[in-house]
Amino acid sequence: MFFLRVWVSASKQAVSRGVSVESVLTGCTRAASGTATDKEPLRKAKTPQGRFDVPEGKNKDVLEKFPDDVNPATKEKGGPRGPEPTRYGDWERRGRCVDF
Amino acid sequence: MASVRAASRLLSRRTISHVKAVPAAAVQSSRNFHFSIYGKKKNAKVSDDISTQYPVVDHEFDAVVVGAGGAGLRAAFGLSEAGFNTACVTKLFPTRSHTVAAQGGINAALGNMEDDDWRWHFYDTVKGSDWLGDQDAIHYMTEQAPAAVVELENFGMPFSRTEDGKIYQRAFGGQSLKYGKGGQAHRCCCVADRTGHSLLHTLYGRSLRYDTSYFVEYFALDLLMEDGQCKGVIALCMEDGSIHRFRAQNTVIATGGYGRTYFSCTSAHTSTGDGNAMVTRAGLPCQDLEFVQFHPTGIYGAGCLITEGCRGEGGILINSEGERFMERYAPNAKDLASRDVVSRSMTIEIREGRGVGPEKDHVYLQLHHLPPQQLATRLPGISETAMIFAGVDVTKEPIPVLPTVHYNMGGIPTNYKGQVIDYTDGKDTVVPGLYACGEAACASVHGANRLGANSLLDLVVFGRACALTIANEHKPGEKLSPLKPSAGEESVANLDKLRFANGSLRTSEIRLNMQKTMQNHAAVFRTGSVLKEGCDKMDDIYQTMEQIKTFDRGIVWNTDLVESLELQNLMLNAVQTINSAEQRKESRGAHAREDFRDRVDEFDYSKPLQGQEKKPFDQHWRKHTLSYVDPKTGKVTLKYRPVIDTSLDEQDCAHVPPAIRSY
Repeated sequence: MFFLRVWVSASKQAVSRGVSVESVLTGCTRAASGTATDKEPLRKAKTPQGRFDVPEGKNKDVLEKFPDDVNPATKEKGGPRGPEPTRYGDWERRGRCVDF
Repeated sequence: MASVRAASRLLSRRTISHVKAVPAAAVQSSRNFHFSIYGKKKNAKVSDDISTQYPVVDHEFDAVVVGAGGAGLRAAFGLSEAGFNTACVTKLFPTRSHTVAAQGGINAALGNMEDDDWRWHFYDTVKGSDWLGDQDAIHYMTEQAPAAVVELENFGMPFSRTEDGKIYQRAFGGQSLKYGKGGQAHRCCCVADRTGHSLLHTLYGRSLRYDTSYFVEYFALDLLMEDGQCKGVIALCMEDGSIHRFRAQNTVIATGGYGRTYFSCTSAHTSTGDGNAMVTRAGLPCQDLEFVQFHPTGIYGAGCLITEGCRGEGGILINSEGERFMERYAPNAKDLASRDVVSRSMTIEIREGRGVGPEKDHVYLQLHHLPPQQLATRLPGISETAMIFAGVDVTKEPIPVLPTVHYNMGGIPTNYKGQVIDYTDGKDTVVPGLYACGEAACASVHGANRLGANSLLDLVVFGRACALTIANEHKPGEKLSPLKPSAGEESVANLDKLRFANGSLRTSEIRLNMQKTMQNHAAVFRTGSVLKEGCDKMDDIYQTMEQIKTFDRGIVWNTDLVESLELQNLMLNAVQTINSAEQRKESRGAHAREDFRDRVDEFDYSKPLQGQEKKPFDQHWRKHTLSYVDPKTGKVTLKYRPVIDTSLDEQDCAHVPPAIRSY
């Protein structure tokens, strides 16, 4: 943090001298605050920071959760997601058979 | 703590006089840890009794449980709850046992969806076992089922619920009402889609309340038998390479099945039948090992099963010529024929050279002719499954499949109380001090064929039964019977031999040979000539174990050594399976032979019994196979034991007389 303050004060001096250190400053604020609040796109969008900035809903599971976890057809609470696992005579889950 | 330091002093004294490395843990234990290390309790004594090269640590307990899956954990904390000083020796962390992969449900006649009676469940299970199940054990299991499920629910297992808050039950697995005449029964309770995972975690969490000592990542080598009584277990600590002897009045084996004897199986790599092999080396029999449950469409290489729904939605099986071969074997049902017909047809195609792949050892399941939208709505998740496990895009390429092993009905013979039995002089004799439960045991509730959702029930009921039997017949703190100081030296000698083995064949090569032989000869398609050829090949492969070569000469975390020990165990299971299958000249349940297609019982149950003469015991096949192996030569001897046809209480629940099994 000390170095950051030194750097910031140094860059403030640089600004007063008319040198553009915008990118440096934003680099510092990014490192300090941990959020991407700048205008530049992230250099490494695949890092955890970049990935969690993608809005929720992109990583949807094929089997969706029932509202309130209650299956509307059978009124089962806390049951398996998706279509009825035993509909083909074995216990099916994501195309895999786990019991028969 | 003081005795641990004393032990380390002893060990370090030995370091001066012996060149071999001292286990690392011994050096570290001279420090004061702020927590207590499980397994290094105050009653551990180090000695030189077996070998100067392998100092052995002796522990004394009231009971030892080998294996920490569903059955092992239930037995371990049942015993701890009853006040016994219990040790649980396991080669895997408890929550990594294969029970965690059991994602179906658990059957119990709770009667939440409709009126139900456990006697109907009893009938269904007896019929499902093709009348090879012991009816007293089935009576015990189905009668205890509702109490067992309620007990699990009280432990905190989050079953799915109906609107009223009762446990939701669904229709599954050949369950019927009113002895088969009342339609489909709804008996299967589940926890979303992870019943086995939840069961294991619930049991593990519950077991931490009690004072069980866990010895995690200790590979059990052998039973300590003396005068026909089991006096404990000898195990290798994988973490530091030390040998531990667990002396106990009662030993419970719950080590699981042996799927890994076959090339294609759904089991984990750790399902190596260690308990069955330990019992075999102790000179005791294993029961009904030829009954292995197969599923026709398991993904080649990965072992995951593809649901029959794929074929139900229009998927077809094709061979190397692109032909829909099921049309030849089942012209009417085609790909929707029953599982055993499909498995056998696939195997015949592969045997006749029309298999696909570089080794022509599997067939294809084609789904790309179906509209992708239909696949995605009817079978959600299948494209991910196919991509992850088979590496194929299901909308463009077919999935490689072959018949896959899923469950072993056979195992260590026990009575309904969980005590291991031997069959001598025409009757069942209990082996004192030895118990077994779970997939490793064969109390014979599954008989010749297991019904779906019954195996999780088997685990908890018989795990509890072992604990109850021990609590009834023994007291905590009983004096241990004396044991020879050199007990377990053959196991250590075998370990040493394997550790420095310098033959010509690697462990993985021998294992692959065994798996391929079993898959080709002892899988679904069984006829006399194929089985006989397989028996001879397996005999040769058993002899090649002498030429095994290991590479890691160390003792700390030597996985090469442990895999070789597991291979020895797998071999014993494999030779018994194939020899028992070769001898059984009938088709019953999961054991289906092309040359003997019918069930051979003492009467012909397809005709009225009047006027029929009862066949003598040695001329019919409604009997359990007991197999013994001489570990040095690999020679298998077979004996037969009658099926128990009476239930525990004929007034309460009459036994089911045999009949033709048709659904």
